[in-house]
Amino acid sequence: MSAELSVAPARHRPDWLLPALTLGPAVAGIIIAAIITPTFLNPDNILSILRNASLIGIVAVAMTPLTLSGNFVSLGISQSAMAAMVAFVALLGEGWNQLATILVVLFGLVAIGMLQGVVVAAGMNPVITTLAAGAIIFGVVSEATEGRIVSVRDYPATWGGGDVIGIPIVILVFVVFTALLTLMMSRTVTGRETILVGANRATAEISGISLARVTIVAFAIFSIGLAIAGILEGAAFGEATAKSFPNLTINAIAALLVGGTAIGGGQGSPLRSAAGALLISVISNMMVLNDFSPGGRLAIQGAVVAAAVVLLDLFRRRGVRR
Amino acid sequence: MTPGHVNSGTGGAAEKPRLLVRRLSKRYGNVQALAEVDFELRPGEVMALLGENGAGKSTLVKVLSGLVQPDTGTIEIDGAAVTLYPSARSQTAGVAVVHQEYSSVPTLSVAENLVLGQAGVPSLWLPGRLRARARDLLSAVGLDHIDPGTLVERLSVAEMQLLEIARLLVRDARILIFDEPTAALADREIERVLAVIKRLAAEGRSVIYVTHRLPEVFRIADRVTVFRNGRSLPARPTSELNVDAVITMMLGRELQTMFPKRGTLGAQALLQVEALKAPGLVEPVSFVIRPGEIVGLTGQLGSGASAVVEALAGMVSPVSGRVLLDDKELSLRSRAATLKRGIAYCSADRKRDGTFAVRSIRENLSSPWVRSVARRGWISARGERERSGDIASRFAIDVKRLATAVGALSGGNQQKVAVGKWLGAEPRVMLLEEPTRGVDVGARAEIYQHLRDLCAAGLGIVVASSDTAEVLGLSDTIATFYRGRLTAIRPHAEWTVDALVREVMHQEAA
Ligand SMILES: Nc1ncnc2c1ncn2[C@@H]1O[C@H](COP(=O)(O)OP(=O)(O)OP(=O)(O)O)[C@@H](O)[C@H]1O
Ligand SMILES: [Mg+2]
Repeated sequence: MSAELSVAPARHRPDWLLPALTLGPAVAGIIIAAIITPTFLNPDNILSILRNASLIGIVAVAMTPLTLSGNFVSLGISQSAMAAMVAFVALLGEGWNQLATILVVLFGLVAIGMLQGVVVAAGMNPVITTLAAGAIIFGVVSEATEGRIVSVRDYPATWGGGDVIGIPIVILVFVVFTALLTLMMSRTVTGRETILVGANRATAEISGISLARVTIVAFAIFSIGLAIAGILEGAAFGEATAKSFPNLTINAIAALLVGGTAIGGGQGSPLRSAAGALLISVISNMMVLNDFSPGGRLAIQGAVVAAAVVLLDLFRRRGVRR
Repeated sequence: MTPGHVNSGTGGAAEKPRLLVRRLSKRYGNVQALAEVDFELRPGEVMALLGENGAGKSTLVKVLSGLVQPDTGTIEIDGAAVTLYPSARSQTAGVAVVHQEYSSVPTLSVAENLVLGQAGVPSLWLPGRLRARARDLLSAVGLDHIDPGTLVERLSVAEMQLLEIARLLVRDARILIFDEPTAALADREIERVLAVIKRLAAEGRSVIYVTHRLPEVFRIADRVTVFRNGRSLPARPTSELNVDAVITMMLGRELQTMFPKRGTLGAQALLQVEALKAPGLVEPVSFVIRPGEIVGLTGQLGSGASAVVEALAGMVSPVSGRVLLDDKELSLRSRAATLKRGIAYCSADRKRDGTFAVRSIRENLSSPWVRSVARRGWISARGERERSGDIASRFAIDVKRLATAVGALSGGNQQKVAVGKWLGAEPRVMLLEEPTRGVDVGARAEIYQHLRDLCAAGLGIVVASSDTAEVLGLSDTIATFYRGRLTAIRPHAEWTVDALVREVMHQEAA
């Protein structure tokens, strides 16, 4: 009876278009890379790209719920992952048992993350909160390690760098973690509430969704990802310093944005962030192989992020609003 | 002709049209929003543009204001072919628009918003002169009580709407377009808007007036153009028509009844409001809702009718007094607390807090009750699909479009989503502010029917509305508010239109 009804056989808005916009460049990038860089398709190189992508990806995927919930991004990523890595190595060095160490690091990071969540839920700006938390964490760890390298003597097995049935552990963890979080965001009540809060806070509140709960849960999930990244790296190298993970913050944010999750929240998914991590990793690998300077690499990476964000924003405006 | 200069025409039939639109089409994805539409506007004429939700009215408005580019078709202004896209071109061509959704900048002051986007304003304006100019404009639309320095985010929906109109007055335009300017307003403010529009037309400007409030049409429009499913019907002089004829043109059929029959009320009280005090109320308010009852609260802007609803929803503090639901005390401390007891709430501003514009219709519909179709935290896709599909079909929302983002729907269809989503939550009491704002007559009758169906299931409903006809036709009991006080509460049979209007205006009318 409404005019809406009589509209010609309505199909859904093409849902593939947005992912295509991010996966398209990723595929194109890989093809270009393969053509201009002969060593690119080398199995060792592919593996190294995947490992790198996995580490960035775990963190970007873990941060996605935080961004989806409208809390932007964390600016304390490197510091928290580093703290997890240092703590893991240091505790093992003290002779702790592996499992206990893993659990302590995990719970410790989740506690720190939830604390930030509580502060943000109380009304503090999330960007400022995570920036401050990052600075505090870095300060404390630097103080505690006195700038030295922490290491495990006679490290039993560097399992973090190992593999299971021929697949590196870090890649396995990345795939499983991405799958779990993607499922969670799309199929659980918590995931749905997270996205709705990001889409419109006021409406979410009237619908009875607890903003505080969503924010704190998002921070907790994010912290799990940070702990996993720190533990895997710690277990791969058996040593750590307060300067570990120098570029993780920028890389993870870049992966998330390139993946097409809206910076303001409400739209996006962990799967997209995983694809973004792959793209970022391919680009930086290609630049390394082609002897780009570190400065040049950073500049190009920045340009790619900017281009992706502008493109996606334009697309969204056409597709959805007005 | 410069945009500043206005021809004082008298709307004679032989005259050259001010605006001529021919065979204009616009498609959004799979939706043909406009299909070869013709439209004509004469100098000094008020043309009402009518049609169901999604008929394409706002799309034409957006084309004329240069916000969207038409696919095909031609537009002439005063005999010359023009391109109106992008909006800067439309402005220089002398078109000015008040949009359906507000476009003021909430973090700027009222005065700053008034000069925003206006050509010829010195970049370093003098605050004193700005304020004085702002005051003149504000009083022209009846916002004398607003200080020009107030931030726009502080204004109520109705005040914002009047501000939008004031913004339009600054522009010396030949063609003025109002897209549902009165949807958010109560009678008294509507009078003001209509007076302003009449004045503008008398100055020789041409006005396109989009509305779902049909009585207004007969008060100000010279002619009527109806859109149906993206197509235009030929314009007809208002003098040849009446409300029923217009409705039939819009729907393509006759509307049987607007307001459904009232049912029987339960004997016991469902919700007892005792000495409720809240921000916006100067005297405590008491009333009772029985199962199956619709209580209509009405009053002017800021009268307190909305304040009662917001307090009962748990949206404001501090509140005092006692509210009993099923004889058990209901805490109004937070929205979560009232929601848990089954209090559904639908505010007057769907864009701000009624919908999730970027999310799909299905997710919007399921947002208040998705928990109830979940098991151990996992959403049952089937449960969600079925229940939202059920709501959608009951509200005449195309079930095939449930994956579409709500922001892409026409204004009225967004409203249906904002109201309809609560149906799935099985509430005990439903609180609604302006439930049919921007909703077309057909869908409006449907919403009224749904509310009655809910009543039959034992719900109690509170409707705060500034639409006198709606309050009178829909409610079992009507309470009027004036300046923060409940002034009268009586069964519907004891009210007449005149009595209601008098009570709402209170001593002012005397
Ligand atoms: N940006 C968009 N993307 C996709 N579809 C759109 C978009 N804007 C409008 N539409 C569709 O075009 C059709 C016409 O919408 P329009 O807003 O012009 O209706 P309307 O006549 O103004 O209705 P209302 O009375 O509800 O405001 C609707 O089916 C609407 O869903
Ligand atoms: Mg409209």
